[in-house]
Amino acid sequence: MPLNKDSLPNTFLVATTLCLTCALIVSAASVTLRPLQLENAQRDRRNNILQVSGFTPEEIKEDGGIKKVFESRFDVEIIDLDTGDDARVECQDAMNKAKDKEVNLGEEYDQLWASKVNPEKGLSEKLDKKADVCGIKSREKYSEVFIMKSLEGKPELYVFPVRGNGLWSLMQGYLAVKPDFQTVVGLTFYQQAETPGLGGEVQNPDWKALWKDKKIYDDGEVKLAVIKGNKAGNDYGVDALSGATITSNGVTNMIDFWMGSKGFGPYIEKMKNEDSSNTNAAAGGNNVK
Amino acid sequence: MSSKTSAKDLVLDPIFNNNPIALQILGICSALAVTTKLSTSLTMSFAVIAVTACSSAAVALIKDRIPSSIRIIVQMTIIASFVILVDQVLKAYAFQLSKELSVFVGLIITNCIVMGRAEGFAMKNSVSDSFFDGLGNGLGYSIILMVVGFFRELFGSGTLFGFTVFTKQSAGGWYEPNGLMLLSPSAFFIIGIFIWVLRTWKPEQVEEA
Repeated sequence: MPLNKDSLPNTFLVATTLCLTCALIVSAASVTLRPLQLENAQRDRRNNILQVSGFTPEEIKEDGGIKKVFESRFDVEIIDLDTGDDARVECQDAMNKAKDKEVNLGEEYDQLWASKVNPEKGLSEKLDKKADVCGIKSREKYSEVFIMKSLEGKPELYVFPVRGNGLWSLMQGYLAVKPDFQTVVGLTFYQQAETPGLGGEVQNPDWKALWKDKKIYDDGEVKLAVIKGNKAGNDYGVDALSGATITSNGVTNMIDFWMGSKGFGPYIEKMKNEDSSNTNAAAGGNNVK
Repeated sequence: MSSKTSAKDLVLDPIFNNNPIALQILGICSALAVTTKLSTSLTMSFAVIAVTACSSAAVALIKDRIPSSIRIIVQMTIIASFVILVDQVLKAYAFQLSKELSVFVGLIITNCIVMGRAEGFAMKNSVSDSFFDGLGNGLGYSIILMVVGFFRELFGSGTLFGFTVFTKQSAGGWYEPNGLMLLSPSAFFIIGIFIWVLRTWKPEQVEEA
């Protein structure tokens, strides 16, 4: 080889060429595999929604797989978190604008992404320090709510996406509640990176089972919490994870935020009013509030 | 190691005669982390085999052009690219497993075996030899992972690849699972025993005291 390989020009040449080649390969792989990865992530989220709603893996398999069970039993609503109203159209508009193309909301609405977009795009809002109890800094304007319906079409339970900071990581999960918006059916996390064996135990089935049938509100305030040395029979407390105080507090704050007025509070209020006034027109329910 | 060796020797030698974990004691960290189950061990094995083989071949391909002052960084870049590639493929085709492996696929970049082969072998040898050498060292790593995974899953959970072998007491059987097996230290014991057995079988591997 005539070129001295240790010369300065060759060093730059090799470094540049190598970086470009590697960047090209990596981005090509990332772009081509992205649709498959998104599909996997969606299937995983749906699987978590089904499990938090009490479906066992065997039942899901028997009934034709995640996609079929989810699509036949669940309705997905997109709501405006501030008002609790259905906001599919508004969300669609804002997403189309933000992404500059026609967006398929069912597949492409990523709430975590939406919450971090510049507030000017109309998808998110900054939280002030006092309201931001679970440390997420900004919150999306629109959220999905998954409603499981009985075969007659009556809502059987509601699944809310929730998230909050633990010790190391953002814990993302689902909280399933009964239509009385008071009784918990289950809580699960599909993404967390807490200390394995300590905070990571939020994923332990035994711990998750403690959440079943707990009560959320006491006199309009969120009372449900993760408590150290919880007394047996306390409907508002779940035993804290030993050795994981910060993770446990993170879970408490997460429930507090998402069930409170900055989270799904307005939606829950609205649904309750609709239920009690028992009118068919959705507008009637709004006026009560 | 610069003497001419056949492809078969290059592949088979690192499995027992010159095993990267058992003899060179490299790459132990990930061997502790991913071996609680055989399914994750197997996935990790494939990932490491693919990365060592491909990155060694790639390094050998451009070895005459790599300036010696930046050769480590060049090797790292190549290895990192292959690791990301493997990670992306796993996320697309084996989502559940890639979730369980979490950061450890990414951490293959820091696995000493991969770098060791790139710097120690691929920089001096032909593309095909380097490929087979990478393959062999990947296999050597894999065999330890599979052995450790086998014992940890069998005694820790009473299953193999998720199928029940010993019925646990909690499921009405007789087996009381050994919790230690699910924790990282157990992998040290198993690797230690493996090395002991290997060196009893091949005494020439015993280091002089």
